[in-house]
Amino acid sequence: MNNRLFPYPTLVGRSDLEIHEVRLDGMPLRRALISPGARVIALDRADRPDWEEVEVDLRLHTPTELRAGTWQEIRCYSSLFEGRTNSRSITQLGRASDDVWSGTVRAHHDDHHRRIELDALITATIQDEPGRIIGRATEAWTIDLEARTPARRNTVQTIRADFAAPDRPFLNPYREDPWMIEASGEEPVLYINTGFEGLDRLLRSNDRTTRDMVGAQISSDVWVALFNAAAAAVETDVDDQPIWPGGWRSSVLQRLLPDLFPEHSLDDALIEIHARREQGEGADLQARLLHAAGRQARLPKRLDVHIRNLAKKENS
Amino acid sequence: MSSTEEFGHALESRLHLLGLDRAEFADLVGVTQAAVSSWTGGRVKPRPETMRRIEEVLNRHEENTRDTAPRVDTDRDALTWYHRPAHRDGGRELGNAAAFAFDTDLAVLAREATQNSLDERFDESAPVRIRYTLHEITGTRLQEFLETLRWEEIEPHVESAAAPSNKVGRILQRGLADLRDGGRLLLLRIDDHNASGLTGPDYDDGRFSAVIRRQLDSRKASASAGGSYGLGKAVLWATSRLGLVLVNSELSEPHEGHRHNRMIGRLELPWRRTADGEWAGPAWFGEPDAERGGATRSWWADSDTARRLHLEREEGSPGTSFLIVGAHDPSGEAETLEEMHEALVTALATNFWASMVTETGGVPMLEASVTAVRDGEVLIEDQRVDPELAEPEMTRALRAYLDRRTTEDLTAKHDVAQVKVPLSVPPRKGEAGGSVPVHEAVLLVTPAEDGSAAPNRLVGMRANRMVVVDQKIPEMPLGAPPVQAVLLAGRAAGDPGADAAESFLRAAEPPEHNTWKRTDDLTSTYARGAASRINEFRRAWKEAVHRLIRQPESGEGDVPPALAGLLDLDPPPARRSPGYPHVKHVNGDVREDGSWRIQVDVQLPQRDDPWVVEPILRFATRSGPKPVVAWALEPVTNCDLSARGALIFEKGARRAVFVGTSDPSTHPVTANMAVVEVELRRVSEVAR
Repeated sequence: MNNRLFPYPTLVGRSDLEIHEVRLDGMPLRRALISPGARVIALDRADRPDWEEVEVDLRLHTPTELRAGTWQEIRCYSSLFEGRTNSRSITQLGRASDDVWSGTVRAHHDDHHRRIELDALITATIQDEPGRIIGRATEAWTIDLEARTPARRNTVQTIRADFAAPDRPFLNPYREDPWMIEASGEEPVLYINTGFEGLDRLLRSNDRTTRDMVGAQISSDVWVALFNAAAAAVETDVDDQPIWPGGWRSSVLQRLLPDLFPEHSLDDALIEIHARREQGEGADLQARLLHAAGRQARLPKRLDVHIRNLAKKENS
Repeated sequence: MSSTEEFGHALESRLHLLGLDRAEFADLVGVTQAAVSSWTGGRVKPRPETMRRIEEVLNRHEENTRDTAPRVDTDRDALTWYHRPAHRDGGRELGNAAAFAFDTDLAVLAREATQNSLDERFDESAPVRIRYTLHEITGTRLQEFLETLRWEEIEPHVESAAAPSNKVGRILQRGLADLRDGGRLLLLRIDDHNASGLTGPDYDDGRFSAVIRRQLDSRKASASAGGSYGLGKAVLWATSRLGLVLVNSELSEPHEGHRHNRMIGRLELPWRRTADGEWAGPAWFGEPDAERGGATRSWWADSDTARRLHLEREEGSPGTSFLIVGAHDPSGEAETLEEMHEALVTALATNFWASMVTETGGVPMLEASVTAVRDGEVLIEDQRVDPELAEPEMTRALRAYLDRRTTEDLTAKHDVAQVKVPLSVPPRKGEAGGSVPVHEAVLLVTPAEDGSAAPNRLVGMRANRMVVVDQKIPEMPLGAPPVQAVLLAGRAAGDPGADAAESFLRAAEPPEHNTWKRTDDLTSTYARGAASRINEFRRAWKEAVHRLIRQPESGEGDVPPALAGLLDLDPPPARRSPGYPHVKHVNGDVREDGSWRIQVDVQLPQRDDPWVVEPILRFATRSGPKPVVAWALEPVTNCDLSARGALIFEKGARRAVFVGTSDPSTHPVTANMAVVEVELRRVSEVAR
């Protein structure tokens, strides 16, 4: 971030965090579940659901400036952090060679819920003060406890379900609807009604223009519903300034606000929506929201393709 | 005959050949004469350590005999060129068909020449050493070279053949122009050591005649040979702009009692007419052979002649040196010495990295290096080709296999997984089927490094480990972790069925030896269905890679394709130039009095109205709200302070600078203990 200042010199070059091996209760994890590209480790193992401890062998490659600089008592640590449980742990790394630090971090299944951020810190003693952070891993990893494939998967959960099924009574009132959005819980969910004849097939069909048109419609609905739920959850601090709601709600707002208020920074845009809601100027906000949700859903583009295709069919 | 008797006979005849009597021999070995008699009589076989001693004594004696044999080097003045007269039937060959069989360039040259050397490896416990030397000569060096070569004897021939009407003629024209107008000549010397050398008689069957006298004769000593078309050598001549290659060979087995400096030159021209008559094609440089009507044969060169021809070789290290005179890159891609050097290093590394890999502490099959020289001055130091640099991941995979450190599955970053890939070799035509066991090729798969230039490749090889197949792994699943794969087949993998698979795959290679597919050789040699076996093999290795990197099946909760990418919650990438004023850069430090003094550069989007913002300074925390501290602002560039303490940026300005000084009494901790952040807050349009 270029709006930050440290009261002492910090590292400029890259520090790369590399995963060597991952073990679940001592059994090595298949390499296919570790993606260096997406920097994700996928831990949802159908064949080992009751694992207790995950161990990660890692290496941190630090830039040569670390040795060339005047820093004293340099240490490297890896850190595990999960926002949902607010659990943090730190493991010191040993120096493997001049610019490489290695170690093994351990996490217990019970302490974590969904996604653990695996980062690294480089510290030094500055003006007699030990442990000041002078650098971090350039890119952190994610240990995803629920993922079955190692991909960046921070997306709205989609569940296909029969809305008329007795084991999901909360969906029964909507049995006539093609889809439903649940935006009140800890995790937003999009339900697709498999009881709605042909819908599920359409969403997976090879007729791309129709399929994508319906997809855009659903997606636009999702963003509108999620935005309203997220905006309603914005609270204020003692100075009456709005605070980011955290979790998925913050993510939703961060994705949509630049399209709602292109001339405002994210923080300013948050203040803006909060003020308008307080002062009952919601109508303009809804118009801006439909615009932003449509852009997220790529609605204008997909509609354009759909229309051209229809025209082609009519002319042929 | 028992092996004891066999040994007895062999020893007897060797003693006879060397002219050693039993008493002398017994003395040298350090045994009694009676013991020697019991061996030659086939009654007793010596113990292994005695056997080694016998071998030493015989070898040393053999060498002494050779060195004392009279050798008369050929007088340099006797050397001459013999041109093959034109066919009496008037037929004219306007080029060497073998040289046109495939498109050639320096990479093809390096492949063919190096492959030939590997096939001729002499001592199996030591590597074949190959060295490529590019040497550009001018001035007196060039003069001396041309005189020794008797250039004046062949110049009219080259000139006559250098007709612009055909491809070969145009190349010759350029070669001549380079020599006459440029006054320079590029020599490419290819040496191999620990290879057989060009043994055998001058005209009859043998290595010498296969390379020097004949076209399309692949005389390979073993079934594991890489080549099989006999085309490789043609590339040597195709790489010369003058069609001229000189050869010096140190023989592994004596010819006419000698081994050192066996030399000959061969000129490869199209049909031509000179003042002296019409000539068919090739010409040879050597000693006139009276028994062959003036045709020239190889000569035993003195070291001065070898040096003048830039082909001096150290005595006692068998192998061959080829000197390509007027060397060029036939593809025209590499032009300068440096480019040609680079092209050769790259070609050797990408094609032979595996031949240079060995188990930890072992001896590789091949060592290769390339150097460039200009008029005796070293331009690029002898550069040893390093397999690790060319193919780091695949080298790791092969080394793990040779060290027996492979695993069944991929778990750790540097793991190498090993699986079997079946290849059922069909019977040859006319052979009874069913007796050939299914060959098990070895597939090695290892994770590719992050940022690997070309991940997801598979390379395949046979006995000499030259890269034959090099392709993308087909149908890699989307999002699968990148890997590299090495396939060892035939003798590179070993039994079962190693020899049968080796021959089968060689038959499935086109002249370029760059893939395994249906070839004429394959369908004419093997029973029906041979081509399908190759296809099955290709499918089997693809599936084996896919199995190793397979990812779990997708389930109920997956995002349908219609919604893919539309429901992502990750923050969007920051915009390069956002539509609001933002901090471009901050600069500052903590002063004596404990306050921060910070200069802030602001970037402003174009707008007709002036921007009004309130700059905020915060102490950053790891989580929770970040405390705001008070600071005094001083406008510097393109801005002004408003009455309420906000900054008003000038209309139309794109950049502005201000300085802020914090009030230490409002700091939550001393300035030295915290990171600060600068924020620009719009003065709200609603609240204003």
